[in-house]
Amino acid sequence: MTALGTGVAPGSTKPARTRRRPGKKLTFDKVSFFLVFLGVPVVFYLAFVVSPFVQAVYYSLTDWSGFSPEMNFVGISNYRTLLGDGTFMKSVGNSITLVIVLPVVTIVLSLVLASFVTVGGSSHGRIKGLRNSSFYRVISFFPYVVPAIIIGIMWQQIYDPSAGLLNGVLTRLGFQQFSSFPWLGDERTAMVATMFVIVWGFVGFYMVLFVAGIKGIPAELYEAARIDGAGRFRTMTRITIPMIRDNIQTAYIYMGILSLDAFVYMVAMNPGGGPNNSTLVMAQQLFSTAFTQGKFGLACAMGVVLAAITLTFAGLVFVVNWLTGGHEDITE
Amino acid sequence: MTIQDTPLVRRDFLRGALATAFAVPLAGTIASCAGSGTAKSTAPTGSRSAASSAKNPFGMPASSTVDAVIFNGGYGIDYAKFAGKMVEKEQSGATVKVSPATKIAQELQPRFVGGNPPDVIDNSGAGSIGIATVLSQLEDLKDVVDAKNYEGKVIKDTLYPGVLKPGTFGDKLAAINYVLTVFGVWYSASLFEQHGWTVPKTWDEMMDLGAKAKKEDKYLFCWGKEAATYYLTLAIGSAIKEGGDEVRLALDNLKEGCWSLPAVQDVLKAMEKIIKAGYVKPGGSGTQFTAAQAQWSNAEEAILYPSGSWIENEMKKETKKGFKMTGAPAPTVTTNSKMPYEALHSAAAEAYIVPTKAKNAAGGKEFLRAMLSKDAATNFAKNILSSTIVKDTVPADGFGSTALVSQTKMLEAAGDKVFTWGFVDFYGMNTDLLVLWNTFLDGKSDVATLTKGMQQLTDKIRNDDSIKKVEVS
Repeated sequence: MTALGTGVAPGSTKPARTRRRPGKKLTFDKVSFFLVFLGVPVVFYLAFVVSPFVQAVYYSLTDWSGFSPEMNFVGISNYRTLLGDGTFMKSVGNSITLVIVLPVVTIVLSLVLASFVTVGGSSHGRIKGLRNSSFYRVISFFPYVVPAIIIGIMWQQIYDPSAGLLNGVLTRLGFQQFSSFPWLGDERTAMVATMFVIVWGFVGFYMVLFVAGIKGIPAELYEAARIDGAGRFRTMTRITIPMIRDNIQTAYIYMGILSLDAFVYMVAMNPGGGPNNSTLVMAQQLFSTAFTQGKFGLACAMGVVLAAITLTFAGLVFVVNWLTGGHEDITE
Repeated sequence: MTIQDTPLVRRDFLRGALATAFAVPLAGTIASCAGSGTAKSTAPTGSRSAASSAKNPFGMPASSTVDAVIFNGGYGIDYAKFAGKMVEKEQSGATVKVSPATKIAQELQPRFVGGNPPDVIDNSGAGSIGIATVLSQLEDLKDVVDAKNYEGKVIKDTLYPGVLKPGTFGDKLAAINYVLTVFGVWYSASLFEQHGWTVPKTWDEMMDLGAKAKKEDKYLFCWGKEAATYYLTLAIGSAIKEGGDEVRLALDNLKEGCWSLPAVQDVLKAMEKIIKAGYVKPGGSGTQFTAAQAQWSNAEEAILYPSGSWIENEMKKETKKGFKMTGAPAPTVTTNSKMPYEALHSAAAEAYIVPTKAKNAAGGKEFLRAMLSKDAATNFAKNILSSTIVKDTVPADGFGSTALVSQTKMLEAAGDKVFTWGFVDFYGMNTDLLVLWNTFLDGKSDVATLTKGMQQLTDKIRNDDSIKKVEVS
């Protein structure tokens, strides 16, 4: 800057101004372009995303029943009720458990699988995945094609204590203690069993996402690492993960938001919230508060809390990623 | 009232789960959209109605349209269309629009807020509107039961005793529950005959039968996770028979220590004995309830199942051939109980309501009058194989259904000793109770834990001033 600034100072501003001037002229073309591509989406966004949100926040401060136009402003009393509501706090706890466990498990698993099918193959010759990797890729993507609700119903049948596939296999293998074992009905296993289903459903998708990311990494990097004597694990931690860091971050946030919701899976597998409410999540509690108990004000407050937790989570992921070195962009 | 909630667990739950699951999870956002509709001020119904006459007792305006929204569940909506045709015939020029709905609360919530609710609603199913939420917005239907039906008889004289109770809140008849339901334990008459078993009348006999069933490698009971509270219904029914009305009133009015009453405790202890003896098929807390019911009706792994009379219709496709499904009243603890063994827990389900703000509330009432007439009620009984609250619509052969015949027999035997209660549904306690009962039936808790848990729930509601209580007498 200083080196340049001395010599060209008088002349440099002028051409810059002339260069900018045509940009300031608002031709019809430009205005209509702005209107259509910026104005319309913004209006839509305001009308259908922001305004309902603001409204929900307002309703959370009222005692609206949901079935009459009348409502009274009650301040933050709904939030106070929520804090003292054991069932709701339990559902918050369950949602937070989900958001801690699910993304980590899913992403680690899918990352390992993605490595296997792309760069985990023979350590001689060209960098490639395991044999038949395209077959595995298709197989593991299967569950993602099935709609969530079907996955839930299917696994509910698999987990059935008396007629389910799982207990059938286990008892056939000689584990008699599992005959009639209620996987979804026992407090110790209900949450784990449900988490397993969600992970099962998403591993394939994230694997494909990471495969795409890994394919974008130049093969020379892997070759160089291999020549330097790096093993598969070291290659993964030192090359793959840093190179697809952004993908992982995005995946983490997506999976986290999905875990905070998890509504479909929970409703399909344990509509009542599970044994001792061990699989009850916030979205379920919100739904029943609104529609079966007719407390829309309180339900809106739950929605606001859920939104706050979701935003906090996304923020945390960004911060953690930045702190662990995500800001040092190594690709450039 | 109890049954108002039981549809929640009994009816095609998968469909419910499906519909619920597709809904956007951030219900708060949906709710807010619904709220933005401005409330139109509707003219009071009186101004739009014609003069009332014997033929048109509610003064339904000439050539008007009746907008009926009917829950489309196990019963379908054809029976309502049938009644609609009757209205159209009776009131010349009238049109009745019968539309099906599966999630009543979600579908109608915007219309309630917008001030243009339908004229008559069958408020049932998993997604029904909590009646307490809309109570003040409903018409008092006393004039419907005071009116004469299409055959010229006063409607209230044609009904079974006690059937209007579930819809009465304070002194307002806010809902007419149309389908008569009888609660008890259900069994296969042919299976019992084959083994020479008799239906137990006390809990001691129940224990004995459990031992006999065990010998045949069968269980006495089985249960499903969404329907664990069917056993609570059985327990309350049995306790009320044992201890009389005071038990019913204590529970229904959420009295302090109501779960510790001797009659209630005796029943719970008897149940615990059965559970601890291993007479209940394990694994119920992880079994979907219709799958559990099929273990009883199809596989015959369990020999008794406590339920309401909808069970026949619900398990139609999954009942063993020659099963001869038959019902019996809940057992008592002792043989000298306050109410006789024949006393029956019976109530009506499928709550029909008429919103005050409806455009044609008089038309809605006219629709109910048609439904409560003999033709419509008989049509219902014949096609659905369930009785309505209208008496004498089921012939002696029960249209070929053993369950329907046993239902009529139980009602006849009970006479006026018919009772019901409503607190579980009115205060929306079922979800919380399910948790406790699943654990109890699983053998993972005991009577003391169960009692404590239920009492805490009850006390919490009683002490919460924001919940409006209904005094039951």
